[in-house]
Amino acid sequence: MADVSIHGLAKSFGPVDILRDINLTVEDGEFVVFVGPSGCGKSTLLRIIAGLESVSAGEIRIGGRRVNELPPADRKIAMVFQSYALYPHMSVYKNMAFGLKFAKTDKAEADRRVRQAAEILKLSALLDRKPRELSGGQRQRVAIGRAIVRKPSVFLFDEPLSNLDAALRVNTRIEIAKLHQELGATMIYVTHDQVEAMTLASKIVVLNHGRIEQVGAPLDLYRRPCNVFVAGFIGSPRMNFIKGEVRGISNQSVTIGFAGAEMKVDLSGKDLAVGDMVTVGIRPEHMAEQGADAIALEGRVDAVERLGEASYVYMKLASQDDVVVRAPGEAHIAAGDLFKAYFSPRSTHVFDAEGRSLRMDVKP
Amino acid sequence: MSTTSFETTAPLVAAPARSRLPLHIVVFLAPALLIYSIFSIYPLVDTIRLSFYAGDQTGAQHFAGLDNFRMLLSDPTWSGQFWNALRNNLFFFGVHMVVQNGIGLGLAMLLSLPRLTGGSVYRTLIFLPTMLSVVIIGFVWQLMLNPLWGIAPSLLKAVGLGSFFGPWLGQESTALITISLISVWQFVGIPMMLIYAALINIPDDLLDAATVDGAGPFSVFWFVRLPLILPTLGVVSILTFVANFNAFDLIYAVKGALAGPNFSTDILGTFFYRTFFGYQLQVGSPTMGATVATAMLIVILIGVLIYLFGIQRRLQRHTF
Ligand SMILES: Nc1ncnc2c1ncn2[C@@H]1O[C@H](COP(=O)(O)OP(=O)(O)O)[C@@H](O)[C@H]1O
Ligand SMILES: [Mg+2]
Repeated sequence: MADVSIHGLAKSFGPVDILRDINLTVEDGEFVVFVGPSGCGKSTLLRIIAGLESVSAGEIRIGGRRVNELPPADRKIAMVFQSYALYPHMSVYKNMAFGLKFAKTDKAEADRRVRQAAEILKLSALLDRKPRELSGGQRQRVAIGRAIVRKPSVFLFDEPLSNLDAALRVNTRIEIAKLHQELGATMIYVTHDQVEAMTLASKIVVLNHGRIEQVGAPLDLYRRPCNVFVAGFIGSPRMNFIKGEVRGISNQSVTIGFAGAEMKVDLSGKDLAVGDMVTVGIRPEHMAEQGADAIALEGRVDAVERLGEASYVYMKLASQDDVVVRAPGEAHIAAGDLFKAYFSPRSTHVFDAEGRSLRMDVKP
Repeated sequence: MSTTSFETTAPLVAAPARSRLPLHIVVFLAPALLIYSIFSIYPLVDTIRLSFYAGDQTGAQHFAGLDNFRMLLSDPTWSGQFWNALRNNLFFFGVHMVVQNGIGLGLAMLLSLPRLTGGSVYRTLIFLPTMLSVVIIGFVWQLMLNPLWGIAPSLLKAVGLGSFFGPWLGQESTALITISLISVWQFVGIPMMLIYAALINIPDDLLDAATVDGAGPFSVFWFVRLPLILPTLGVVSILTFVANFNAFDLIYAVKGALAGPNFSTDILGTFFYRTFFGYQLQVGSPTMGATVATAMLIVILIGVLIYLFGIQRRLQRHTF
């Protein structure tokens, strides 16, 4: 078991900077998820931890030991690839035992480990099959099995679920969470899917353009995103953003005007001046069709998406801002209706002109 | 009883289906079939037919059964040359398998290195000789290796290896291997390209997974890449085999049809040429020529059959 720490890491491919100034600590036994849009450098960061890419600057420690110069096999890591990367010419058994051959594990012990992993992953009946004779879900389990048998301190997963269909994805997600509980190993998991990140992680690392935007527990990121990017990335449907303007500043609160409404929010106004532009963020699920809350936005409904348990109401305000509201499933709303969405100022987020959150309880 | 009745009814069922063979398919197939029959199938069949005939001084031919083959394999005037040519041809093939395909594999591995710069330049340069005429290749190498005015002796002397030089193309002991290596030099680009294509087809993830599993570069090659390119190596081998046993041009260009010195570079192709067309004092014999051609066909057929039924079945193509 081991922790992973990264200091001042940078990576460039030729003249292109892919990762910049990455500082991160993954505690022993933690389940950390790297999440971010496609191409932001998640896989590159994971491959650097695995030792498959070199770094341009910075240091990586696994279990307190500097590993920059160590080959992947000596880092006590195991990796599960998005494509599974099973050896097509080897049986399931041989795929799982392949790594043990190089670790000089003795035959009997290797056999015991492979069979035990197969037991856990329900692969015992498939040990003699070739990968091409397996379904996608089974291949996925073989790939995980191949990682387990090596008894690594750190598991690395690179988008392991993205090639599975929706139902299987949910199942496998739960299996991986269980596996983490059973093994207690450190796991680092890369995904672009924020639902996977929210459900699996004990800690989420949000990456964008090769930089860490925010690190925190899933609910922390949901409740207290430190900037517009994180606020928009975490949560589905996306948070609504509306341009606003500072109208007044008092001791503990700031008055903000936006989309024809005005609200008073508890913010420190010390870096603000009257007339500054800000961005107000409100999550669709924090707005309601009716409510005692003071603030309301009115607009015309463009479309309604009915999911059963909820309906997403897409409306356009008089200020031309688009707003999504999560309404109850059976709400009687139709396109073309006038719609009024109520919300509490306490559930809003306010960001300054650079996109940084102005809430006092937010730590980056 | 019941089986025979099925057999008799089967054609009745099949007949209407066959008669409904659409006319346009016949029309589209006809030109290719016609050309292929006239220029390929008919000559082949007629060659085999001719190999069962013998001719006399008047030019009249008469059926001789397997006499020609018996003569080819056991009559001292024929069999010595035939076995010599076959032996040389096997050696020629062996050199190509080991040297040409070995180097081709090595070059393909080098080309597939991710950090290689200028890969396409090397690829083109190495493949270039393949596109040159064999006559030019033969001529150029003959000039270079010439002991009197060739560049090889002075080059060797310049690096202090002058004493190693010999008239390689002129000595009985070295002529065949020298010619084989010239041919290897010309055609090494072909196995290289085929194997290179197979290598880059292997996903990087697979090699990364093996690296994470602890395999070093040699193990990655031996346990992952090699097994995955075996089908291609099989194809390369059979292509080499067929090309080598049909070879003729390089030896004819460098050494003439007598494949000297003292037939030491004689292979089946040159042997066939002398037999069929005649050369210097030897009178050509169409029927014996057809016999040699048929023997070559049989040799190649045996090789291809061994490959198809003995080797290819065990090689599995992998999709990634
Ligand atoms: N070997 C490489 N050479 C050059 N650029 C690369 C290489 N690998 C990745 N990149 C670039 O690095 C960026 C990040 O890639 P990656 O880490 O795979 O993103 P993600 O996994 O977040 O989608 C991409 O813009 C990609 O084009
Ligand atoms: Mg990726």
